[in-house]
Amino acid sequence: MGMLAWVMMGLALWHFTIWLPDRSWGGIVGAFLGALIGAAAFGFIVNGFSIPGRHDTTIATVLEAVPGALIGIGLIYAEGVRRERAGHATGVNL
Amino acid sequence: MSDRQRHGFVLLLVVGLIAASVAVLMTQKTVLGLDLKGGVELVYQGEPSPQTPHVTQDALNRAVDIMRSRVDQLGVSEPSIQTTGNNLITVGLPDVHDVKRAENEVGQTAQLHFYDWEANTLTPNGKTVASQLITQDPTATTISQGASGGPGVPGAGGLPLYQATKLAAKQPPQPLSKTQSRKGPAYYLFAAPGSAACAAAAKADGTTPVQGQHCLLAGPDSSLSDLYASLPAGVTKAETELVTVPQGTVVLQAANPSATNQIKPGSPNAQYFVLKDNVALSGTDITNPQPSTDQSGSPDVTFGFNGKGQSAFEKVTGQIAHRGANVSLGGNVLRQHFAVALDNQLVTVPQIDFKQYPDGIIGGGGADITGGFTSQTASDLATQLRLGALPINLKRISESQVSATLGQQALHQGLVAGAVGLLIVAIFLIAYYRVLGLIAVAGLAAYGLYFYALIKLIPITLTLAGIAGLILTIGVAADANIVIFERVKEEIRAGRSIRAGIATGYKKGLTAIIDANVVTIMTAFILFVLATSDVQGFAFTLGIGVIVSLFTAVLATQAILMTMSDSRTIARPSALGAGGKHRVWRYDFMGASKYFFTLSGVILLIGALAIGGRGLNLGIDFTSGARINVTLDHPATASSVQSVARAQGVSSPVVQEVGGKGLQFQISSKPLASSDSVKQALNTKYGVHSFGSESVGPTFGRTVANSAVIAIIASLLVISAYVALRFDWKFAVPVLIALMHDVLITSGVYALTGRQVTVDTVAALLTILGYSLYDTIIVFDRVRENIPRMPRAAFSQIVNRSMSEVLTRSLATTSCTLLPILALLLFGGSTLQDFAFALLIGVASGAYSSIFIASPVLTHWKEREPLYRHRRERIESEYGAVPAYASVGSDVEPDRGRGRGRRRVGRVTEPEPEVVSAAEFEQMKRDIAEEEAEPSRPTSTLTKRLARTGDGQGGGSGRAQRSGGNGGRSAGRSSGAPRGGGATPPAPPTPPAAPASPAASPPPASPAASPPPPTPPPPPSPAPRASDADLDEPLAGEGFEHAPDEAEDEGIARTSKPDRPSSKSRARNRRHGRRR
Repeated sequence: MGMLAWVMMGLALWHFTIWLPDRSWGGIVGAFLGALIGAAAFGFIVNGFSIPGRHDTTIATVLEAVPGALIGIGLIYAEGVRRERAGHATGVNL
Repeated sequence: MSDRQRHGFVLLLVVGLIAASVAVLMTQKTVLGLDLKGGVELVYQGEPSPQTPHVTQDALNRAVDIMRSRVDQLGVSEPSIQTTGNNLITVGLPDVHDVKRAENEVGQTAQLHFYDWEANTLTPNGKTVASQLITQDPTATTISQGASGGPGVPGAGGLPLYQATKLAAKQPPQPLSKTQSRKGPAYYLFAAPGSAACAAAAKADGTTPVQGQHCLLAGPDSSLSDLYASLPAGVTKAETELVTVPQGTVVLQAANPSATNQIKPGSPNAQYFVLKDNVALSGTDITNPQPSTDQSGSPDVTFGFNGKGQSAFEKVTGQIAHRGANVSLGGNVLRQHFAVALDNQLVTVPQIDFKQYPDGIIGGGGADITGGFTSQTASDLATQLRLGALPINLKRISESQVSATLGQQALHQGLVAGAVGLLIVAIFLIAYYRVLGLIAVAGLAAYGLYFYALIKLIPITLTLAGIAGLILTIGVAADANIVIFERVKEEIRAGRSIRAGIATGYKKGLTAIIDANVVTIMTAFILFVLATSDVQGFAFTLGIGVIVSLFTAVLATQAILMTMSDSRTIARPSALGAGGKHRVWRYDFMGASKYFFTLSGVILLIGALAIGGRGLNLGIDFTSGARINVTLDHPATASSVQSVARAQGVSSPVVQEVGGKGLQFQISSKPLASSDSVKQALNTKYGVHSFGSESVGPTFGRTVANSAVIAIIASLLVISAYVALRFDWKFAVPVLIALMHDVLITSGVYALTGRQVTVDTVAALLTILGYSLYDTIIVFDRVRENIPRMPRAAFSQIVNRSMSEVLTRSLATTSCTLLPILALLLFGGSTLQDFAFALLIGVASGAYSSIFIASPVLTHWKEREPLYRHRRERIESEYGAVPAYASVGSDVEPDRGRGRGRRRVGRVTEPEPEVVSAAEFEQMKRDIAEEEAEPSRPTSTLTKRLARTGDGQGGGSGRAQRSGGNGGRSAGRSSGAPRGGGATPPAPPTPPAAPASPAASPPPASPAASPPPPTPPPPPSPAPRASDADLDEPLAGEGFEHAPDEAEDEGIARTSKPDRPSSKSRARNRRHGRRR
């Protein structure tokens, strides 16, 4: 149940990336993967490498996914910007 | 075969099938499932035994054969016994009166084992009785010689269960051998005497805790997780003591003192013996067991031995006789015994008279088992032994019982929901499509007839879930018609004749329908393979229904329409709903996607918080437990019903009154051994009108949950692979995201509303995957079609255009699917309502996500491709922003014939008889007139246009000329901007129709309204074309409004609009007139 909550929160937050400039690595799909993987991985780590069960899933569990999703989206975005700059510098259009 | 012949043949086939269906309906019987006619369904999980260390399909099949024979002995008509998944056996027993007996008969392993009693039974000090008899140990003597009732009965040296298991636990584990009766350890959970756990367990059982004794909380079980899952309510793991009996040692319950004094396992009065698990011979070594009576007239079971059994029997009785002679010293005769145990309980412990049989008993004369039998139990045991023991151990993990009255009620509700669903879909189709609707309804009627005939003919066992599948396929069949009809209308509006429009419409609509239905069939197949039996019924009917609907909705209706195409009935386009101007959506879907994404994000956010805060209300299918639905004849209160349930051993019953008249109740509890006693008790006290029960063990819940997860993942993979194969792999990713969106939104709504998630909900979720894709495929199919038509447009423009073209169709198909679902929700009864609710949310979300999630994701992703990035940059550099819609004049008609090969005559989707629509024809006439007026022009516009189609791949002279004529203006604006890289033609850009978003600076509304951009002098030759003038003409602004005629919108007819002509087109119109 914990995993469901994390993935759902990750997906929810990803929807708001539509407002960001399209500079993420892999575009909106890259941001999607970043949000989902970030949310799930962060939740997993915070919970001591375990997934909370049905009775252990609370609002706090859901909120644990927020920083992970944001970090995931941020990393993908930063990588996109880096590649874009590298592309401009080398004249290669990535 | 000519068209007419082919359609005639199809019509003949339709009529023939209708006649055959009617014949089938009149002669064949409908096979109803247990939920519709009443009965008991038992689900068993196969577990390994020493004889069968691994549960294989072969072992399951052998078990099914034996169980079927047992059921036949019970006289049950039309039983259903089948394997499910890797290790489950589902037994359906309709019209069973003695449920408890049936349960015992069918699922009992019936493992009969013979032990050398004294050589294997352990005394409390852990030594065998045989070894202690020589030392005249009193306990060993008591166990060997027994008390007044003989050995092996309560009071004959047995131990309470806790002490017995503790003694057994001290024994070293033995390596697995074929002489053992059990594989692996057996686990027990106890609580300390006087503990709160014992009190809770006693309360749950409706008993009183025994002072000074450890109480059994759970077990014996071969699985620790199952053991803990079956703890009584309110007892935690920390309060329990786990005792593990290792492999090689067994704890057998003492034999029942008499037929009338049966002691239940785990009862405080039950006593146990600990034996080394060293079986001398087993049930497979005996032959011809028969119920009989002994010399005193008491019922017993006689049997013979096979060759192996005979020698084994002689050997063991010989050993026992020799030992008897050895230990009987002086006048102290100590007769020795062998024990007969059936499924972990001693049946009898007969003696071997060493004086009469000093070398054992010759097995040729057979033997008999006596002790504690009634005529019925002796007969049952003989039957079980005769049919043979099951090759594997079976653990019952689910039991559901439905009374015949409840079944009839469910059937009635299902049929009403189906009829209402069919009716409202028919009304919708006729109201919206008129004559086409009537034909579709005829197709639906034929579909219903065929499908019902197939159900009877195969036969398909019709269950409640199957009825849901059937009702749902009504929507599928109607959807296929809608997709085609909308296409037919488009073609007719584009100027084709009725006959050509129908032919082309069917041809173009078929691809999308096949794509969508193949996915639904694949989802149904996955459901069928992985799901539990009742969901399998749904999957099967869904799959068969989709296939039948393809025939009726595509072939049959096409034949009818084509046959009618020359008649007066559909002579006018208005009869087909294609009269007048088509309402085309002019909405910037891609521009607005930000807002819809935000909306979805907020909904998911709320859903996620609801899952964290409220959680999903998982039903007993997942959590294990029992649920009884009962309608009484006489009113009762919840507390009185609870008392009755508790008195019948129902653990922690929670009774809820339903309906408010004191007649309907739902009882929830921990898993039940049998609900039959509750039914009988309630019937005695209040009278039972209808009764349904379901008891699910933790293993079943896990199995359901696991298979659901596997089914969802498998569906997603298969769907992705199919979409990638049929479209492009980049189309598969948005599809996956949209599906995830739909499933998660449905989950969120379930968490928010607190509705119970059942196994039906999972089936509905999987169906949503298929259905959600239906809409997405319709949209993507149009995108795929429009991509080559719009070689200069930005991808967002292509998608906007595609959306505007298919939105009406999507709304109509969604409505058509939702209508029968709504009927299910309103009239389908509680089970179907659960199902319908998930479908309602999922299908609505699926339609929404197809348009506002999948398509924008696709757009965003595709626009990163160099081709579309260059197009976007070019358009932006020329107009400041990308308009929502491309110009109509930017279209080209792709050459379908090239590269794919020509279709052979006689195909179902034969090429349209006319390849030039009326609008195209008008355009051709104007072009020819232009050429006549300007003799210097080398080629006709049509020729150039066809050439331009090819230019899309590599450029050509025609395009270059046009570029020179109009692109000069663009060149002045877009210096330095990429121009037509790769396949992008360097043709004039699409004119703005509306701003891409409110924030974007809008391009000039029209050349007349705003000053034209700097334009270089027109080239001397060739003369500008009408289409070029159109390219400059922006479309109307954002929002919904009536669009130009579809023919124009298709980009086929490049005519100027009369209200806002450019100066060039005005001049040309003056020259040639305007004939439309």
